[in-house]
Amino acid sequence: MTYLYELPNATSGLDAIVIDTFSVFPFMSSLILLFVYLTVFIGGITRQTIKSGTADYSAWALIAAMATLLPALIFSISNGFIQLDWLIIVVSLNILGAIWFFLDRKPSEV
Amino acid sequence: MGSQIDLTISITMITLFSIAIFGFAINFGNDNDADMNIGSDSVVASTYDLHKDNASQFSTETESTYTSILESTVAEGSDITPSAAPFSPTRGSLVGSLKNMVTLPINSIFGGWGSPFGIFFTVLISIITLIFALYLIKTWRGNP
Repeated sequence: MTYLYELPNATSGLDAIVIDTFSVFPFMSSLILLFVYLTVFIGGITRQTIKSGTADYSAWALIAAMATLLPALIFSISNGFIQLDWLIIVVSLNILGAIWFFLDRKPSEV
Repeated sequence: MGSQIDLTISITMITLFSIAIFGFAINFGNDNDADMNIGSDSVVASTYDLHKDNASQFSTETESTYTSILESTVAEGSDITPSAAPFSPTRGSLVGSLKNMVTLPINSIFGGWGSPFGIFFTVLISIITLIFALYLIKTWRGNP
């Protein structure tokens, strides 16, 4: 059987398979993070809209960013999973989400 | 966002959230001896330090402002204080932290302050600062 790329050597550890896959397809980790973000964001606002008729978009954007940060940090432990630039972008998404969230709260009297 | 107190607390919470996220991510990398640690990035490190400086400056200004409020007097026949000293924390460290908190997203996502999209955040910070000023006047002397 002819393979599209050379099979990874699993004797050096199972994570070598993932790292080899990520090295063949560098956007793999980015797409996984995008999948987590969109799943939480779209799933959250959809379910909240169904239940209450409206959705807190800024809150779900922040929750999705925080949910994305966790796998991004796990990816950062070993070299080859994620680039430092992408990790910084995820942290930046958290900050942008926080800015949107905290400036979007309801007004009070004073 | 609906009042001077709301805006002050919102920006303070954004600053604290940023410090928490930076601290968590950097400590996660240090504790696990990660190969990719955002603390090793110069922009992240400087932004983190600026956030901490803003937060500590805000704490110091709040203490002095609390004392200022207690010592302030209202002139007879007037219903406002003669100076705007009680609002000094919102004037100083918080407005300064506005630029710091968007510096990292601008550099990492939008290409820096000089990029075509940089003007968006420049105007955003300006309008929030203007809202701050109008809220101070509204709180201090009534409707502008």
